[in-house]
Amino acid sequence: MYLKVQLPWNVIIPAENLDAKGLMLQRSIIVRLMENFATRKATKDLGYFLAVTTLESIGEGRVRQHTGDVLFPVVFSCITFKLFRGEILEGVVHKVLKHGVFLRCGPVENIYLSYLKMPDYRYVPGENPVFLSDKLSKIEKEVVIRFIVIGTKWLEVEREFQALVSLEGDYLGPISQC
Amino acid sequence: MSGEEEENAAELKIGDVALILEHKYEQLQQMSEDPLNQVSQVFEKSLQYVKRFSRYKNPDAVRQVREILSRYQLAEFELCVLGNLCPETVEEAIAMVPSIKTKGRAHDDEAIEKMLNDLSLIKKFE
Repeated sequence: MYLKVQLPWNVIIPAENLDAKGLMLQRSIIVRLMENFATRKATKDLGYFLAVTTLESIGEGRVRQHTGDVLFPVVFSCITFKLFRGEILEGVVHKVLKHGVFLRCGPVENIYLSYLKMPDYRYVPGENPVFLSDKLSKIEKEVVIRFIVIGTKWLEVEREFQALVSLEGDYLGPISQC
Repeated sequence: MSGEEEENAAELKIGDVALILEHKYEQLQQMSEDPLNQVSQVFEKSLQYVKRFSRYKNPDAVRQVREILSRYQLAEFELCVLGNLCPETVEEAIAMVPSIKTKGRAHDDEAIEKMLNDLSLIKKFE
């Protein structure tokens, strides 16, 4: 689910970027905010950080002792993407293994669909391994699949999410793209 | 949605996100010659994803979808899932969002059917 969130953050502007002209200062605050935003990548609570949409306000700057940098409290709106348990989503298969497949869904690369969670499908080995069902529905690389999220895990070190998904449910499985 | 941390969060549909990200990308394009170097990987992957999965391409259609769905007293979460997945039949819609059929809510099959019809009309006339 994509979320629109308003966040308060602090932006630190190094002393050498401070400029008497107000416009330049505002610009460097925005640039710095966007850099911080991109390197932050994701948080456990809000999910992946996609884009800053608006800068709502810039507060009074406070000079930091020793360095002379100035810290500005800012409030901004942004879009984030978070996987929720029970949510139904669509993703693209990028790896087929014996015990299941990996899917990609937006910024999330590691979405695992285990063979245990798609009981109708059988693994067919070969140069391009696939999962086939009795009804000849095929799961292979680059196929779009609609799935339900059964669990998510936040990896603090990589600042990433992993998810386990399932095809057990009505109207889930590979879909044809028109 | 239940989590407390999302108190100040509003859900968005893929279409909304596609509009915003594409606009942002154009802005970046104007600012530098090699915009892909400027944006984070998260942004790039998301842009690709929403471009591929957005059911409605034109901005007016995206707005109309939100307007139509908002007439049906849906929770934001339900609204987004329906808008993102565009189910074609009542049965499929209920499978995607079981909560629209729960007790005490005014959605009978007829109302859901009408809602899906309205949505498919937008797609037709896009």
